[in-house]
Amino acid sequence: MAMEVTQILLNAQAVDSTLRNQAEENLKQFQEQNLPSFLLSLAGELSNDDKPVESRKLAGLILKNALDAKEQHRKHELVQRWLSLDTSLKSQIKACLLKTLSSPALDARSTASQVIAKVAGIELPHKQWPELIGTFLSNIHQLPAHTKQATLETLGYICEEVSPDVVEQDEVNKILTAVVQGMNSSESNNDVRLAATRALFNALGFARANFSNDMERDYIMRVVCESTLSPELKIRQSAFECLVAISSTYYEKLAPYIQDIFNITAKAVKEDEEPVALQAIEFWSSVCDEEIDILEEYGGEFSADSDVPCFYFVKQALPVLIPLLLETLLKQEEDQDQDEGAWNIAMAGGTCLGLVARTVGDDVVPLVMPFIEENITKPDWRQREAATYAFGSILEGPSPDKLIPLVNIALNFMLTALMKDPNNHVKDTTAWTLGRMFEFLHGSALETPIITQTNIQQIITVLLQSMKDVPNVAEKACGALYFLAQGYEDAGSSSSPLTPFFQEIVQALLTATHREDAGESRLRTAAYETLNEVVRCSTDETAPMVLQLVPLIMMELHQTLEAQKLSSDEREKQNELQGLLCGCLQVIIQKLGSAEPTKYVFMQYADQMMALFLRVFASRSATAHEEAMLVIGALAYAAGADFAKYMPEFYRYLEMGLQNFEDYQVCAITVGVVGDICRALEDKILPYCDGIMTQLLKDLSSNQLHRSVKPPIFSCFGDIALAIGENFEKYLMYAMPMLQSAAELSAHISGADDDMLEYTNSLRNGILEAYSGIFQGFKGSSNTQLLMPYAPHILQFLDSLYMEKDMDDAVSKTAIGVLGDLADTLGGNAGPLIQQSVSSRDFLSECLSSDDHLIRESAEWAKLAISRAISI
Amino acid sequence: MADEGLAAHRREPIKSSVGNVAAHRRRKNAATVGKERRESLVRAKRLCRVGISGDTAVSLENDMMIDEEQSILEAQTSSAVEELKSSVAYQGKGAMQKRVNALRELRRLLSRSEFPPVEASLKAGAIPILVQCLSFGSPDEQLLEAAWCLTNIAAGKPEETEALLPALPLLIAHLGENSSLSVAEQCAWALGNVAGEGEKLRNVLLSQGALLPLARMMLPNKGSTVRTAAWALSNLIKGPDPKAATELIRVDGLLDAIVRHLKKADDELTTEVAWVVVYLSALSNVATGMLVKTDVLQLLVERLATSNSLQLLIPVLRSLGNLVAGDSNTTHAVLVPGREITDHVIEVLVKCLNSEHRVLKKEAAWVLSNIAAGSVEHKQLIYSSEAVPLLLRLLSTAPFDVRKEVAYVLGNLCVAPTEGDGKPNLICEHLVSLVGRGCLPGFIDLVRSADTEAARVGLQFMELVLRGMPHGEGPKLVEREDGIDAMERFQFHENEDLRNMANGLVDTYFGEDYGLDD
Repeated sequence: MAMEVTQILLNAQAVDSTLRNQAEENLKQFQEQNLPSFLLSLAGELSNDDKPVESRKLAGLILKNALDAKEQHRKHELVQRWLSLDTSLKSQIKACLLKTLSSPALDARSTASQVIAKVAGIELPHKQWPELIGTFLSNIHQLPAHTKQATLETLGYICEEVSPDVVEQDEVNKILTAVVQGMNSSESNNDVRLAATRALFNALGFARANFSNDMERDYIMRVVCESTLSPELKIRQSAFECLVAISSTYYEKLAPYIQDIFNITAKAVKEDEEPVALQAIEFWSSVCDEEIDILEEYGGEFSADSDVPCFYFVKQALPVLIPLLLETLLKQEEDQDQDEGAWNIAMAGGTCLGLVARTVGDDVVPLVMPFIEENITKPDWRQREAATYAFGSILEGPSPDKLIPLVNIALNFMLTALMKDPNNHVKDTTAWTLGRMFEFLHGSALETPIITQTNIQQIITVLLQSMKDVPNVAEKACGALYFLAQGYEDAGSSSSPLTPFFQEIVQALLTATHREDAGESRLRTAAYETLNEVVRCSTDETAPMVLQLVPLIMMELHQTLEAQKLSSDEREKQNELQGLLCGCLQVIIQKLGSAEPTKYVFMQYADQMMALFLRVFASRSATAHEEAMLVIGALAYAAGADFAKYMPEFYRYLEMGLQNFEDYQVCAITVGVVGDICRALEDKILPYCDGIMTQLLKDLSSNQLHRSVKPPIFSCFGDIALAIGENFEKYLMYAMPMLQSAAELSAHISGADDDMLEYTNSLRNGILEAYSGIFQGFKGSSNTQLLMPYAPHILQFLDSLYMEKDMDDAVSKTAIGVLGDLADTLGGNAGPLIQQSVSSRDFLSECLSSDDHLIRESAEWAKLAISRAISI
Repeated sequence: MADEGLAAHRREPIKSSVGNVAAHRRRKNAATVGKERRESLVRAKRLCRVGISGDTAVSLENDMMIDEEQSILEAQTSSAVEELKSSVAYQGKGAMQKRVNALRELRRLLSRSEFPPVEASLKAGAIPILVQCLSFGSPDEQLLEAAWCLTNIAAGKPEETEALLPALPLLIAHLGENSSLSVAEQCAWALGNVAGEGEKLRNVLLSQGALLPLARMMLPNKGSTVRTAAWALSNLIKGPDPKAATELIRVDGLLDAIVRHLKKADDELTTEVAWVVVYLSALSNVATGMLVKTDVLQLLVERLATSNSLQLLIPVLRSLGNLVAGDSNTTHAVLVPGREITDHVIEVLVKCLNSEHRVLKKEAAWVLSNIAAGSVEHKQLIYSSEAVPLLLRLLSTAPFDVRKEVAYVLGNLCVAPTEGDGKPNLICEHLVSLVGRGCLPGFIDLVRSADTEAARVGLQFMELVLRGMPHGEGPKLVEREDGIDAMERFQFHENEDLRNMANGLVDTYFGEDYGLDD
């Protein structure tokens, strides 16, 4: 049945494109005509040591791609396809794969490892291939080194591929035993040790039971720690990666080992090569992450029934950890400030220092200040930069009381440095530090302002001047201005201290966007987003100046649309710019639309604006589409019912957006815009509802669409029903069953993790918002009885949500509101049903005494509506 | 391929570009704004309805207090109660003023928010000390403030209201003629709150003799006192035991007072008095019998004709309905066809049917259905009035509960009063005409509803059509409007009565022979 495919596979990698295309076509045909034979031929090729390594590798790769895909829908298809294949064929393929693990060719073995893991990923959850792990481990000791290496690598991939619950504990034990033995210093072959260490990284998630057993855990930890001392760099790096994973997965088990780990990491940070040192720092960053999470939970809920206590490892390590991290700051790379993708030990050290400051708060300050004072004025730029970076890093975490006196002294120094320091890297970090000061220590919530009448002039002058500096410094200056403006967001309609500088600031930002080199260091993006924030936080006094921006930004958008014959690189930049300009107009529309006089003036541009936005949809950039949708949503809200005139033309883009499964954010944003338009047009949206509802229902039934879009779609049903009232009648027979089955699915989710619970709650909220909208839409119409048949199920849904006890506050509020809406709309007809439901008693009284006043308010409403429904 | 192994552990550097964060925030903000707008729309819709639909007008619009304010308020309340205790214990100079000040402070706290700190005051032991302040011989100012505090406490949750039990005898005592009007009125208010809580507390109040002094407060012409007393009484006689209502109507001068107050222009006063009439006429046959012999019916009709206040129209209309439904004498002796009052009644009911308020429509249809259940003359009177086109329209367009009442009216118009046990006699003229004007689909629609009463009316009317339409037209009409399908839904219905009725109709009129003639 197998066929000779070697030549085709070699041709498929040929330099000659005709040959290559021909071969690819052959492979495609072969696969379509006889899939079983095709797969078997590939497996045979991969396992045959007489074949060239190139054809074997490609055979394995094609085989792997026949089992898995990134895209969920496709992946599901492939899994089903494999499961439906003949068992004996699959056995033959699997035999070939296992045989390949003993091949002398490393590439063939490694490819086979990955394919085996994919097959295991499909079969183990279905209780197929039960002998797999047993076969692997039965004779691992007698295997030649290269096969042992391949076997361990395969185990690693399998652990990465399948979820822990499909592997029995005794198999987990066997895997761990084999892996840890492979890591042991008694293993003389470094390839085996490396493969074992990497396998452990993936197997850690399986080892929960083993980590609860002191002896087993001690043994695993000892082996990992020993491996961090291996002469082989890759083994050391990999062993540290294991420690990082252990720190987040088994934080609560670290205490007995933390002293040893500290010594090991400290030595690595100081002396080891960069890839290893980076992982050693990462260990402490990861411990900070854990402790920040735990302490946040303590703060949030005092009764802290959180199962993991805080061991304050970071606080205990502080006296030695801080000097260690400060040391790393001096190891900057030249020009890292201009390289967006840079990552090195100095950056990792500063990032870790920032996390430490957030973990321990005030305690970090006295340990860092001497370093800053000593280095900030040194002639060597590295010392000045490191000192500034250290200061910037600790500005989040410690209390304002502790920081503000220091910032008051430092502010002037930093402003001078930003102007005068000869080194760009120092200036870059200085501007960033100013931004951090404004982000965390400036704003209406703080009692003592660091920005005052006396220094604001100087601050702004310096920042605007820096916007003319090299792109990376200018970008950081924009960032500082962004947070400076944000600090005044609560100024309301009264006067803002920025008013006298508004014109000057806007001018400087526009100039920055027009710089030739604005594409470097993301300067253009930063300048536009800062402009947006300055506009958003501005007051009525400067509204006329914001109005003047409208034609200006429109003109820029127009120019991007007129540009012809662009290279693909230029087009990409053009699309990015269109997105930024749409974003800018979005903020301006929100700002001006919030007050009648300014709204009236800018609405005169509405026709032209809308024409421009629609042209943006001609581009193929998802980001540009998202931004165009958002700005249209803002315009619709400002225009109100007048937006109807744009609907005939806009509708097809709306539909396109709703069909965009691939860029699901576009789809999600479009769903939000449908809501905006519903509120703007009210019943004038009716002519478009058939199309919109059809599309939304399709979206819901698709398993290609990202799940995060589904809750907003349900809410959108509610928006539509609110807008068109009883005209929603004709959609009931489609929408209600969808809501009902989604409700059933979301009612019980025992044993789900936090992410799943959060998603489920957002789904519930969407479903409930749909019900609320539908009830309210029908209220007062003559057709309310159409909703009666759905009432029992909805009440049952509310009851089961109440019983489940895992609703968040948002869901409680919406749910109790639905109860009220149901009673209000159905009135006396639903009285007996309502009286039978648990929700109308226990849930209601729970909500009436809730701490959350919004829940209480909804509950008061529900109580009133129910009492009327029952009394009439 | 072997080297791609582990995913490189890379975190976001602390020093990152502002652009990413900012754009993310801006988009998130757009989504939040949309969500907030949806919420405020939903909230507005709910709140504005509370205003329209009337009888339990509770304003939710007042600013809700945030939690911190609430806890401050609670702390202040506890210390105000403590202050009151020490001022009551204090006997020195200015003791009276000290007590009044302490009471006033507590009263202010209890009146301050939508969620008065009742619980905190109870915990601090407010009731015993307030009862002490109500003791006989206390100055009016002190009595007034203490009663006011108790009024606010009584407005709280059920168990909080019940806490007033020890204060009730003194509150009732201060209703008497020897008290100043403002004190009596404040006590009546507190007692009204207590009575509104439920049957158990009503019985306690009645057994302690609250009825008579409250009834006496209704006799004079002092507006606010009468209003408060009427309100308290309407809570007190709510039943379900009719004894209190009967007792009330027999109080000397009370009936005259009701008639007198119903003539007044003061809408708020008349509203409260009308509620008293609602409960009197709903519960007590004795009261109904006495009321219909006075001008009350006339006055209610006048009110319905002239007022536009929904608050007033609801109890007035409901009183009228109770009087019509509760005493056959009303339709037989008072609302005699040909008399002016009868025409007026129909007129005002038409006005209510035309109103935009569902409750008014529904109650008006209910009153009409009771009149339509009267003599053939009554039926002819309604049949020839403006009500019929209106009823027909409502049957196809109104909310469900209104349609149901309308169906009773139209159904009653088509049958003559029953003699003996047989099937009701038809008034063929009415039936043919109403069916001709398209009422059948409306009834068939009711047959489809989940409400068994409505379904029964629908089936009964279908029976009339099947039996009564001339030339055997009935079955065809019913079939044409999908009536068979509607009836077949009852084939296995859990309600035996409806099931038999529907199956009987299908068997009789759509049995084997049906359709053979065509």
